Amino acid sequence: MDYCLDTISEEEKEILQEIMNIAFGKAAADLAEVINIFVVLSVPHIEILNAQDLPEYLKSQVSAYDRVSIVEQNFWGDFKGSAFLVFQASAGRELISLFSDDSEDFGSEPIDALEKETLMEVGNILIGACVGKLSELLGDAVTYSPPRVVTENSSNDAIPVNIFESGSSAIVLKTVFCFNERNVNGFLFLVTSNDSILWLKKSLAAFMEQYE
Amino acid sequence: MIKKILLVDDSPISRRMMKSCIPKDRGYELFEACDGLAGFEAYKEIRPDVTFMDLTMPVMDGSEATGKIREFNPEAVVIVCTADIQIKSITNALNQGALMVMKKPPSKETVEDALLKADEHIG
Repeated sequence: MDYCLDTISEEEKEILQEIMNIAFGKAAADLAEVINIFVVLSVPHIEILNAQDLPEYLKSQVSAYDRVSIVEQNFWGDFKGSAFLVFQASAGRELISLFSDDSEDFGSEPIDALEKETLMEVGNILIGACVGKLSELLGDAVTYSPPRVVTENSSNDAIPVNIFESGSSAIVLKTVFCFNERNVNGFLFLVTSNDSILWLKKSLAAFMEQYE
Repeated sequence: MIKKILLVDDSPISRRMMKSCIPKDRGYELFEACDGLAGFEAYKEIRPDVTFMDLTMPVMDGSEATGKIREFNPEAVVIVCTADIQIKSITNALNQGALMVMKKPPSKETVEDALLKADEHIG
């Protein structure tokens, strides 16, 4: 079945935006509980795209970063897709001290490995809590792949090119955030394919039924 | 006694969710504003008994708007209803003078509870 791009109505986008807002708020609070950080939130944005335009769209969103670190995690349920948490490449180093009592004592582990572990941990919490809450609000439960960290010299090389089959559509849920004390900015993209659209439409309607 | 309620939230869906949770049988008069600044302006004009305020909004966030409303009227009852449930955000909203903070999504029970607290506060 071929779903056209307007299969998600403006109202459904607004509902999804509000649910994403709630989900990322929960994720930020979970992260703030684990490490001493304050996450400045912004209003989420929902975009429906042709899958073949997705890599270009994602690159354009992070073009201000010359080097990027991406935490990528896939999730499966009725709601399935990929999460990309994108930071400037320097973010890992900035965040290491949040997981250490002494910011100068990085132990014997190489700094690159520590940066990766830090980003993986932050990504695991933010993506897990956000996708988990979003799924919960929509009556689903998801499983996750282990997070993967990719650091590249250019944002052009870091974004996976073929996430979905061409011809399908992609729903992008984007939120921009800032770790106030650390001068670290980032994006969280949740990307789901049209495999999830029918389920999503039904679930959004069910969610709003309680507010009729 | 509560008569007028102002809902300040940039999301029309969120305002709709809040409205549906407010009891219909009490004759409350409902007003809406779509950001903190519009909320502050609406407050000055309408003088609602209770204001439900979101935090993360464009133009002016809910924390600042709460502070401005409370500066304009130190007796104003502002209830923050937010997805930003970080301790620092909640503390900040309370420091700005919010009576309480409700986490999103709202439910009939949490809204009823908030209105009860507001009523008690107003006396």
